[in-house]
Amino acid sequence: MSGKLRAVVRREYVERVRTKAFLIGTVLGPLLMASFMIVPMLAGRAGAKVLRVAVLDRLGTLGPALEDGLRATRFDAKPRFDVQTAQESPAAEREAALKAAVLEQRLDGYIAIPEDGLATGTASYYGRNVSNLADLRTMERVVGDVFVAHRLTGAGLDPTRIRDLTRGANLKTIRLSAAGEREDRGDAFILSIVLMMILYTTILMWGQLVMTSVIEEKTSRVVEVLASGVPSTQLLWGKLLGVGAAGVTQFLVWALSLFVLSFQGLAVGGFKMPEIGPLVLVSFVLFFLLGFLFYASLYASIGAAVNTVQEAQNFVFPVIMPLIIGMVCFPAVLESPDGGLAVGLSMVPFLTPLIMFLRIVVLTPPWWQIGLSFALLVLAIAGAVWAAARIYRVGILMYGKKPTFPELVKWVRHS
Amino acid sequence: MNDNAIVLKGIGKAFSGHVAVRDLSLEVPRTSVFGLLGPNGAGKTTTLRMVMDILGPDSGTIEILGQPADHAARDRVGYMPEERGLYPRMVLEEQLVFMAAIKGIARKEALRRLSPWLERMGLAEWRKRKTNELSKGMQQKAQFVATVLHEPEVLIMDEPMSGLDPVGMDVMRDVMLDLRRRGATIVLSSHQMESVEKLCDRVALINRGEKVLDGSVAEVKSRHGKNTVALAFEGDGSFIESLPGVARVTDFGQYVEVRLKDGADPQPLLHEAAKRLRLRRFEIVEPSLHDIFVETVTRDGKEAA
Repeated sequence: MSGKLRAVVRREYVERVRTKAFLIGTVLGPLLMASFMIVPMLAGRAGAKVLRVAVLDRLGTLGPALEDGLRATRFDAKPRFDVQTAQESPAAEREAALKAAVLEQRLDGYIAIPEDGLATGTASYYGRNVSNLADLRTMERVVGDVFVAHRLTGAGLDPTRIRDLTRGANLKTIRLSAAGEREDRGDAFILSIVLMMILYTTILMWGQLVMTSVIEEKTSRVVEVLASGVPSTQLLWGKLLGVGAAGVTQFLVWALSLFVLSFQGLAVGGFKMPEIGPLVLVSFVLFFLLGFLFYASLYASIGAAVNTVQEAQNFVFPVIMPLIIGMVCFPAVLESPDGGLAVGLSMVPFLTPLIMFLRIVVLTPPWWQIGLSFALLVLAIAGAVWAAARIYRVGILMYGKKPTFPELVKWVRHS
Repeated sequence: MNDNAIVLKGIGKAFSGHVAVRDLSLEVPRTSVFGLLGPNGAGKTTTLRMVMDILGPDSGTIEILGQPADHAARDRVGYMPEERGLYPRMVLEEQLVFMAAIKGIARKEALRRLSPWLERMGLAEWRKRKTNELSKGMQQKAQFVATVLHEPEVLIMDEPMSGLDPVGMDVMRDVMLDLRRRGATIVLSSHQMESVEKLCDRVALINRGEKVLDGSVAEVKSRHGKNTVALAFEGDGSFIESLPGVARVTDFGQYVEVRLKDGADPQPLLHEAAKRLRLRRFEIVEPSLHDIFVETVTRDGKEAA
């Protein structure tokens, strides 16, 4: 690396890493990750407040069974419901009393079984809060079980025996790959989406940063001094490598904290981190770098061509359009990662960083496909940097009117 | 060995139909102070940018220090653009070391050279401060340090005096002359000819992208003869313009420079002025570059018309 290039890389990296934004992003990233994993876990426990309920049985035959059923319901080895036993009193009177109790917050709610409840298979829950879906589903299941048991007994059958005989099956999914086999309960799916989202946002974020830094150099007029010392291609490469290295640094910090987190707190909650294979890890960093280089060089050309960040917005849209298309296509790619659409999209340099990565996460594509997509992407990067360097050379001294696309093409061809 | 620091041969540059520089040839001798002078929009900045390869010339060739201009040759040149530019949020020291590094100077070496320069320019205590905390004048000085830190053999400065206060101008002039004594060649552009005229050994006057005249300052002046009278006085000097033998008057209020017609005798002017004004000075002098420029441009304009 020539001394000039090293100087530019060093400056970009050091200045970037020293900013508050970088510090906040680097520290906040793992904190956010941790909170995403730990908070729901804690919330799940803290939210497990025992629900005070009662049963209003207009049918007159299911009350005690339902009360017992609710009492027997457990979550995390703790009773889920605090069931208040019904008093012997006329239903209408009792309903008024229950309503009052709910409104006065002595009770959280009550389940009413209508007279035709068993025949129609319906019951109602009255409560102040009816958005606690998990609790509602649980109560629905308990009521259903009680109904079924009652009907079975009525037909002269033994409910316990029937339940034993009609137990369904649990289809385990085991992912087979060259690396071996392991059980997978949708972890790969979630992981692939999460990682792709991270790729998408970071590529755009760091790319934008290159653009604003070019615009800043233009507004502060440093660029003329730079251009008198460093050839524009080296200047551009220095910028890309320096900012890219800052991005990778941030990832390394994140990866390290994720690694530590997965050992410390996460095993306790029973949350199993899906295993991230070395191939996924390597391709994540590689695709970030390549995707970043590609998009950042496009962003750099935009930065060189315009005068303000506002002006840049018009040009930015066509650039990020393909990325958005990639995001829209990802369910189809996940559905059949070896299908024609997925293979085709993963070969388009604009989309390779996202789609090929996605395919690698969910199933290892043939090596030739990975190789080809890499080769195409690298070629595209070379082309983008070449064009960007030319736009850079013309554009950095252009102040005033912002150029049109045809003018940009002219810059590339004539400089 | 070639004794020219910079040689331009027939360079031209046009921007979408408008010709900025036309067939310009210049020779800048080594260890001289060379002034590229002309009004705003004459093509000075475009010319200097072409020398620094910030703009590519449409035609012509450029030689720096005896070799065709390339990156290695340009590393021996320091360039201070008209639009000063420093990274606003960078620490001064880092900034200057970076500027030297892109000219090929190692960090350690740049750091070693930095202290004396900061001392000299009065920036020593600002070394660890961010650039946007510096005043405009200090930023100007910092820019100058950035231009010379890599010890260039040739200094190209676009309007180096603009924006400086009188003290700053003195410092700048001292440093420039000092650098020349140590063997550097200095090329500077200016549209205020009087502010640099005394500094330059050689000048080139350009107008509308074309060279009007060039040569050593003494040569240029003697070519235009000693037919200028400097007059300092008290009173109303407006009548001077209408005296016979007077070609043109540059009026500064209580001081005028009178350009006489070719072969005209200054004596009648002296008599008339002494009669009507309280004279403090009457001196036959060489014409100023400003006058020579205006005269040449208007004469050429008339010839063309």
